[in-house]
Amino acid sequence: MISVVVVFFYYIFSRRITIEPTCIVQTKIKTFLILKLILQLPFPVIGSLNGVHMFGSSHGVSLQSTTTDDAKIVWKVFHESITLIAVSQDDDADDCHMNNLLNLIASALVLLCGIDEVSNIKNVERFKKEVKVCMQLVDRILESPETSGFSQLTNAVDIICAPENAILQNFLDAFAEAAESGFGCLFVERKVCVATKKWWSMSANELVLLNLLLTSLTPCSSRDIPVFLPDTQPAIPHRLMTFELTRNIEVCVICGPSPSLAELEPEVVRFWKPAYDSLRTVGRLSPRNFPTNIALDHNLLGFLLVNKETNRCLHSVNPSLEDPSHLGETLSIHQRKEVLKTFYKKMVGNFFASSVSGSEMGPAEFSHQPMESYITTETHKCYTLQSGPYQIFTLYTDSIPTYAMRSVTQRTLSYLTKDKNVSV
Amino acid sequence: MISPGTLLNQEWYGSPQGREVLATLLHKSQQRRKTFGLLEKPMIGVHCPTDEVKYKVFLVGKSGVGKTSTVAKISGNAVPTAHSETPGIQTTTVYWAGQVKQLNKVIMFSLQFWDAGESATKKYDHILPACVAQTDCIIFLFSFVDRSSFEDVSQLITKMTTPKDTTCKIVIGTKFDQHAHSEITQRDIRDFEQNWKIPILKIRNVPDTEGRNHTNETSQILCVLCEHLWHRDIIMAGRSPSTDDLKDKQNFV
Repeated sequence: MISVVVVFFYYIFSRRITIEPTCIVQTKIKTFLILKLILQLPFPVIGSLNGVHMFGSSHGVSLQSTTTDDAKIVWKVFHESITLIAVSQDDDADDCHMNNLLNLIASALVLLCGIDEVSNIKNVERFKKEVKVCMQLVDRILESPETSGFSQLTNAVDIICAPENAILQNFLDAFAEAAESGFGCLFVERKVCVATKKWWSMSANELVLLNLLLTSLTPCSSRDIPVFLPDTQPAIPHRLMTFELTRNIEVCVICGPSPSLAELEPEVVRFWKPAYDSLRTVGRLSPRNFPTNIALDHNLLGFLLVNKETNRCLHSVNPSLEDPSHLGETLSIHQRKEVLKTFYKKMVGNFFASSVSGSEMGPAEFSHQPMESYITTETHKCYTLQSGPYQIFTLYTDSIPTYAMRSVTQRTLSYLTKDKNVSV
Repeated sequence: MISPGTLLNQEWYGSPQGREVLATLLHKSQQRRKTFGLLEKPMIGVHCPTDEVKYKVFLVGKSGVGKTSTVAKISGNAVPTAHSETPGIQTTTVYWAGQVKQLNKVIMFSLQFWDAGESATKKYDHILPACVAQTDCIIFLFSFVDRSSFEDVSQLITKMTTPKDTTCKIVIGTKFDQHAHSEITQRDIRDFEQNWKIPILKIRNVPDTEGRNHTNETSQILCVLCEHLWHRDIIMAGRSPSTDDLKDKQNFV
């Protein structure tokens, strides 16, 4: 199967100012990638990558992407002030996936620095210092597909569905009210467990970025971070406050000037102490991520379920909650994630339109609308189908008969979407 | 400056009771500190009654000096592998126990470390006041491989505190693992400690390789910190027995 090694490189410049290609490279992104990149992409290459794009734009041509024998390069300009260039191994997928990542990176800069800083760069040295706060988040967005979640790929936020969600919703609503905030969300093991109505009204980009932001920072008891909402209020700073209730379970609210962190912290214990046991139970459900009462086909190794309307996605690469060391001959957890991601990238943009912006261009070229697709290999089989707002991508062992995949996938989708505890 | 062991009983940590209390704070292998969420507390048996005291500790230092790494190291979280600016404020609660000699009593110290990124502090007005408000202790950090960060410490002390200030002050030198490249000599440290009467502690914020040694190192830092905070309480209680909390402490003494 294809191993997706994604190598990224990007830099920022303003048209009026000398190019500073070392701007972000020197700070971080996975070390070995940088080393590889510095060797592969010396300064003249970076200069020409930028030059060819600038040459085009001065003649009214917008250069969007190109591929070499083994690499793919994508250019994108944001807010007429910064250009992001991504270089990755060519994965034969549609450009919309790379553009999606660049969108997320550009929004990440706005999230932590504000639109004024990003769109109006007066001093490039100062800007380089300014964007340092975004490094951890950008690293998280570009994380290797083995370890990351599905959020940044599907542009829909990862969720965890537990029977306790209904109770926890009440706790969250009460707490958000006490914090004088409409925006409240409870994260369990990097996934959204419950959120307030107003939180769900945010754009897909914002939902995904806030999720990634929290998981990218050093673990701690509480935080008070100035954030800008890139799509709805990019110029107004809000305060994102987070509280770690127990390991890997965090509640967060977005507030105005009050209450202060010191004022809100004592409230956390008062409001959440009675929910402690429920929280622990939900924590134990990860990485299965869906209720234990739903029994799925034993050939199923993993699935990804996306709802393009609500911008939520549910995935599980360990549906039976078996010990990863006893998986035997089948694919490892990391491989399952990778296979599902590669399969998703192959389908969306080429055959399916999804929550990823620009993914509707490819499918629009067909005179018909593809509804289902599958691939079979020596080690595993994949099947996908779309129905209403839902798209499901499933991964099976090679022992499932190919003719059975369709009905099993349909049944899986219906079990997951009809269960009252699952709200994707 | 008080020397280690004046107020807290150092031998207690080796006693059966001390070990039992420490076991609630460390993972089984004794190699890492347990982390506690806001809803959790160390579970100590009923036969060992402890009083909990809370302190707020604010970390100050030049950007990139290792404030976040120091807190991560002390709290038992993974030390970040690359530098990145902290956005806004991060607080981390660390529990540490000690037996106070005068009272012959075990005290559970709950230390809340406040760490704020330098650029956020400059960009937003609300961050610094929130960190400084009612703080019990300020830790000034410098890096052993950056002379200017050491020189900044004196300036920061005069800027952040007044001579009559009762805030507890500690200095920590980070990146002590790169001792060979140190730009600060033993003499500098001795002179500074004599001048300011503030102790300088050393920390190596590297992912632990030696296990047990690692907890020993951070334990020593926590001991010194707790001892100074307790010392400050005694002095404060003598001066202005106004708040209830302090009255209690005075009664103990």
